[in-house]
Amino acid sequence: MNRGLWNRETVAAILIAAYLPMALFWLWLEGTDALARLGFTALVIAVWHLVFMLTRAQAPSLAAVTAAFAIAMLAPEDLGIFRLALGISFGVVMGELVFGGWGRNVVHPATVALSFLGYGFPTAAWPVLDAPIAWAAIPAALIGMATGVMPAQVIAGAVLVAGGAAAAGLLGEPALLAGGIVLVLLVADPVTSAITLPGRWINGALYAALLTLFATGWAGAAPIQIAVAAALLTSLAAPLLDEAVLALWVAQRRRRHGRT
Amino acid sequence: MRGGCCAQQALAHVIGGQMQILGSGTGLNPDFPSPPVTPGIQDVVTEEAAVAAPEGSELKVTTLVKEGDPVAQGAAVACLRHAPDVCFVAPFAGRVARISLLAGKKLSEIVLFREASDAVETHDVTGTKTDAGLRHLMQSAGLWPLLRRRPFGGLPYPSEKPAAIVVMATDTRPFAPDPQIALEGREDDFARGLAALAQLTEGPVLVCQQADAPVLAPPKGDNKFRCVTCGPRHPQGLAGLPIHQLFPAGLDAPVWDIHAEDTAALGALLKTGVLPMTRLVSIAGQALREAQLLRTHPGADLRQLTQRIVLPGPHLLMTGSPLDGHPARWLAPRDRQVTALPRETAQNRPHWFIAALTRSAGKTPAIPTAALTQSFGAGLPAIPFLHALSAGDDETALSLGILSLLEEDVALADYVLSENGQITAQLRAMLDRIKTEFAA
Repeated sequence: MNRGLWNRETVAAILIAAYLPMALFWLWLEGTDALARLGFTALVIAVWHLVFMLTRAQAPSLAAVTAAFAIAMLAPEDLGIFRLALGISFGVVMGELVFGGWGRNVVHPATVALSFLGYGFPTAAWPVLDAPIAWAAIPAALIGMATGVMPAQVIAGAVLVAGGAAAAGLLGEPALLAGGIVLVLLVADPVTSAITLPGRWINGALYAALLTLFATGWAGAAPIQIAVAAALLTSLAAPLLDEAVLALWVAQRRRRHGRT
Repeated sequence: MRGGCCAQQALAHVIGGQMQILGSGTGLNPDFPSPPVTPGIQDVVTEEAAVAAPEGSELKVTTLVKEGDPVAQGAAVACLRHAPDVCFVAPFAGRVARISLLAGKKLSEIVLFREASDAVETHDVTGTKTDAGLRHLMQSAGLWPLLRRRPFGGLPYPSEKPAAIVVMATDTRPFAPDPQIALEGREDDFARGLAALAQLTEGPVLVCQQADAPVLAPPKGDNKFRCVTCGPRHPQGLAGLPIHQLFPAGLDAPVWDIHAEDTAALGALLKTGVLPMTRLVSIAGQALREAQLLRTHPGADLRQLTQRIVLPGPHLLMTGSPLDGHPARWLAPRDRQVTALPRETAQNRPHWFIAALTRSAGKTPAIPTAALTQSFGAGLPAIPFLHALSAGDDETALSLGILSLLEEDVALADYVLSENGQITAQLRAMLDRIKTEFAA
């Protein structure tokens, strides 16, 4: 039979392809240490996917690779293997797998894992990512937007507001770079961002606004920590934005046509 | 009726004669392999034909003929049991070969053999100036099955007054024949048919057409006709999106749709008393040596139509387009396309381990992508709609406008997500559930 190709696994594969520029720059700059972290993270996630496949017949997804990449890149350093594994497990199981796997989750598993690690072990230092990685986020976003697997409106909304804040001097360069990386890795996820068109613009703008708020008002926080916190709050707000937009859309149709 | 009145005002206000429903670039044109079309249009009347119920509908009928009876072209062979005015007619003059009914006298198919005879049923066209007379003519001449109602699909009820009628002078399905060619030289019939349709409704008659191939000039002054310009990409050329955008169907506001060629047939019926049976049909698909455009009749034998042009090897004949067609032996009453595809054989099934990983598990969810948004022409919130469908959330689906949609409108989303008919089946199940709920 004839079939299209936009099923869950193809979308996950295209997302991985979009992240490749960032991954290559990151591995090139950080070396074997980063590769080991990525491998370990992927292993822990794979084990949990296997467990859920065997116990709940939940098909494993290639999206695990994108989550592994985001966690390995952004997780606090020097946690030790046990605490890192605990954080990854919490994020992947509670953030994604218990909801039924990728596509049914409310928050990005990497966002949950990173928040868990960040708030659970506040003494661990957040990584400082070099500028080339942030620049590599631009082609990643372009690939994602051109193929339609990343919501272009989310990225555009965030870029507009963050650009305005930077021009007003509210957003410094470190927060801007970390914000850009987290925007591409966590916020522009097709599943956990808003799914209606106006909702997506607000979603992106909200992320950038929270980023600016935390950057100006949260003393002593690392740039990545700020961005991850903003991403967590944004993805929690996304369903609310969608609900409001849909209610407005339905009300407008009802006013125009007398029925829906 | 306040709602209907508001809708009319809004329609007249927003649009003023000519309107565009969506951005011209929205939608998708999926590319299916098919050999090039052989130029020229020939007339084909097949040796066998069947009068069959439209796919998915269950119609209780009374047969009006017996096996072995001779029938004239356009003669009624069956009528609806609870609405004896609505008839199904023979597409050519011949003999009844086989009548097969399902349990409960539901129509399966009535097969006819063609015979060399030019007997044609002529209908009395006096009295069609009145609504009742026009309806009676359309129902008894076999034009009724060419109409379709929304919500829920199927034949319109015999005495139902539509809130609006949509005439489709465009078709964006892959390989669909161009309605413009079908209407060539039949402009008078088309205009007469449109006028008759306007007589059936108190609401507007929306004529959907392409910007570069108009069949109706934007009407001047205040009349019932509205031109709707549809974009070139699927699914903009289906009736579902214009209805959803401009005049949503409701439980007490049915909207009918009819193809422009059938409207011209109605015009010819009103003039001559004889319903023209031929229609423009395209034959395409991967399993063919050449694609063709021809004029044939409803219920035509797909095997005979494709016999000389199909490639060797197992193949599957479908009535309808590659997106929303059904495997069948006969051309369905409203279809204008025949698709021949290679039959899936054991070699191209996936490896058993891949199948175990992907198929035995629960269904994987749809991921929001630009492709999915475009598969509804960006005209409605695609993801919330699909979520409501898969979760069985009737209320949300109703508020998102499911009553304006039918299977063919979600077929593209089904294709894009490579769901193999899941979404179509979910939509049908939900429509059936809503129907029984509100009928009670």
